[in-house]
Amino acid sequence: MDVAETYSDGRRLLVERPAVGLLGVALLYLFVDLMLRLANVPVELMGVEVIGGTLAVSTFGRFLLDGLIVGLVVGLAGVGLSMTYSILNFANFAHGDYVTTGAFSGWIAAYLVGAFTLGVEEPIGRLLMIQAPSLVSAFSSPLAIVVGIILAGLGAVLTALFLDRIVYRPMRDKGGIPLLIASIGVALALRYAIVFIFGTGSRGVTATGSIPEVAIPTGDGTIPMNLHEGTLIVAAVVLMFGIHFLLQRTKLGKAMRAMADNKDLAQVTGIPTERVIRATWIIGGALAGIAGFLIVLERGTLSFNIGWRLLLLIFAGVILGGIGSVYGAMAGGIVIGIASRVSLVWIPSDFARVAAFSVMILVLLYRPEGLFGGVKTA
Amino acid sequence: MSSGTGDQRDVTDADVNATNFTTSEDSLLQVGDLDAGYGDLKILEEVDMNVEDGEYVTIVGPNGAGKSTVMKSIFGLTNVMGGTVEFDGSDITGRMPEDIIHLGLGYVPQSDNIFSSLSVLENLEMGAYILDEVPQERLDEVFERFPILEERKGQKAGTMSGGQQQMLAMGRALMLDPDLLMLDEPSAGLAPDLVEDMFDRIDRINEAGTAVLMVEQNAKEALRRCDRGYVLVQGQNRFMDSGDALLNDQQVRQEFLGG
Repeated sequence: MDVAETYSDGRRLLVERPAVGLLGVALLYLFVDLMLRLANVPVELMGVEVIGGTLAVSTFGRFLLDGLIVGLVVGLAGVGLSMTYSILNFANFAHGDYVTTGAFSGWIAAYLVGAFTLGVEEPIGRLLMIQAPSLVSAFSSPLAIVVGIILAGLGAVLTALFLDRIVYRPMRDKGGIPLLIASIGVALALRYAIVFIFGTGSRGVTATGSIPEVAIPTGDGTIPMNLHEGTLIVAAVVLMFGIHFLLQRTKLGKAMRAMADNKDLAQVTGIPTERVIRATWIIGGALAGIAGFLIVLERGTLSFNIGWRLLLLIFAGVILGGIGSVYGAMAGGIVIGIASRVSLVWIPSDFARVAAFSVMILVLLYRPEGLFGGVKTA
Repeated sequence: MSSGTGDQRDVTDADVNATNFTTSEDSLLQVGDLDAGYGDLKILEEVDMNVEDGEYVTIVGPNGAGKSTVMKSIFGLTNVMGGTVEFDGSDITGRMPEDIIHLGLGYVPQSDNIFSSLSVLENLEMGAYILDEVPQERLDEVFERFPILEERKGQKAGTMSGGQQQMLAMGRALMLDPDLLMLDEPSAGLAPDLVEDMFDRIDRINEAGTAVLMVEQNAKEALRRCDRGYVLVQGQNRFMDSGDALLNDQQVRQEFLGG
């Protein structure tokens, strides 16, 4: 392709899709601005700062790290949402509350193990977090965290399987919209069941004072990263690779992809479709629950609506990645997470979600099928 | 194969009553008085049909006659309202597809018959899903029969040509070495120069001992090659005879084969 062709292609793109051109200009401005800020070069025009400014590399690095952390959690939770969408053909609005269920199951388990191994005297009711926060610093016991992660997954899996059995399975052939509406009902029921038991109060779950930290040097400062964040990143990345291995290498994973691809043919081929659906709930539920446990570990607070609040970001990530694609859900989640945090360079943190959704909308303008749309990996 | 091996029955009596068809007790596939459809809608009425071991049988007829419905009903994918389907001595009426596959019945649907986002090899592996392990010797046989599939085994199935996809669909069904292979319009959507090749391949599958039950739009070619054919009209059997006899029957020619 020669220069003239490139030029005319570019011109056609601008004429046919002006939004794309606008987006390009805006991105270019933001990129230049970011570079100038990082180089500490403010550019003023008539006394007004138009571009550039000051931003410590370490601050920016911390934004990126925060974004990655949020993104990994959103991506991890999104895998299940995307899988149930492609295999069961409906958008499960209760998915966020599976995240919450997992977080509560996991933290109760972590407290019980923590109190037991650390020999702390606390009434059992408080360990179970009923109405009041527990004061045990579960993080002092790594065993408590490991058990918590496993029980978080297990709690969400049992919830997901139970709800599938009593709600979704009887409606299996009713189509996507009735199932979607039912899932909103399930979401509300689940959330307020949690409120009924644990109350609406938000509680701190880990003692923040004593967390070991590492500092990543950046030249003009350091990016602090604590052990909670490290645990989250390692756990999320390991699980994502695990999902990749499962889908590409195991018989079950291939059957899941086959079913996402073509349900009727899967049935005719002799793939036991109900078993594959159960496996889908198990994997999706486990990842949602673990994501819930991890985000609470990182943030330090647990309340009944963490999953619901996360659900919007999860949906944004899944749609951005191309709904139905597992890899899209992971990538989309990370993009959304990073966008919401890096946006803090320019806007106050109250608007972080606005930035995340703007990125989603802009990407979809350019690529309506999503990043991985049409690839259909499951 | 096709030419004149079937006994030439007299079909001057055009409206053969379904109940007059000769059926042997130990047919591989035995469909009796089958009523079936979708929901409350009845498509098939009292369809009788049988396929013997190693036989090559085709079902032809106008659009909407219920040809594909016959196959789906045999495979348990429709609402069966009456009648029986027996395969290899067992009653499979209304059974789940995953049970039927175990008995040695393979089915290649008309469209969407491959997993397009899976690789060619993964498609074949799915064909053997009900087995604990992918049978290597079957895989080798399928590759021998369709060398292009071995060449492209890592390729995403959806990116192959129509003819290659059809071969893959057949290969997938052959992974379990079925006694009877049901093919729903294997020539649909193929370029004209590939149709002949596809029929040749089906001939060879049948020559290797697998019974074939095939639905075809390309009625003349199908009847020329098969042992026996059924003409299905409005959900009912109208004619049954050897392929050659049907091809030469004046009424069948005029009404269904375009003169």
